[in-house]
Amino acid sequence: MFEAGFGEQGDVFFAGRLDAAQASKAESFLAEVEALGVIDFARLEYISSAGLGVLLKAQKRLMAGGGGLTLTNVNHHIRDVFRYSGFDQIFKIEAAD
Amino acid sequence: MNEKFERTFQSLEPIFELTESFFSQEGIDRSHLFPVSFAVEELFTNMVKYNAEGDSDILLSIEKTDGAVVVSLTDYDSESFDVTKAPAPDVDAPLADRPIGGLGLHLVRKMVDDIEYEHSGRETRITIKRRLG
Repeated sequence: MFEAGFGEQGDVFFAGRLDAAQASKAESFLAEVEALGVIDFARLEYISSAGLGVLLKAQKRLMAGGGGLTLTNVNHHIRDVFRYSGFDQIFKIEAAD
Repeated sequence: MNEKFERTFQSLEPIFELTESFFSQEGIDRSHLFPVSFAVEELFTNMVKYNAEGDSDILLSIEKTDGAVVVSLTDYDSESFDVTKAPAPDVDAPLADRPIGGLGLHLVRKMVDDIEYEHSGRETRITIKRRLG
């Protein structure tokens, strides 16, 4: 299962598993967010290349407008995926403890 | 453990469940579950995306052998496409030059120790191995 929503502080969160079956749900959610900046990954367990594509698309859109995404509380498996993709150079990433 | 899955993204959830229950049953350290699930998803979704017209279910077979987890995916109705020869993406490219997609197989190669491709007749089998420990 994958879930996207707003946390208590108003930040966007992703939770569960962002796989190829869920990527379109994540994409349509992000497309509706105004002033997108931070996504809390604390409860995101898993991401595949389909999820990376969604984030890359959002990042291209935000950077074109002078913004950019920060991903917080990212678990070490997902950090590995970002490092192997070189995505650690194009997103701000804050690790989970 | 063997099971056939319908050629659709909706099969991912039962595929993850099967993989996870195999890990529990065999007492395999869960730190290997993410990379194995990742590799299986990327290879399975490639079969769904690039061979949508294929007329068979896809067989997933998972076993533990010689200190490794070995997973194979068999597509019984497919053309030849050697995933081990997919071009490597430029992971140092700046944002503007990044295409959406093209990372999956590169990441699979990072997550597993061995990947083998076989094609014969209409049958494609891709086998990955991740060493445990």
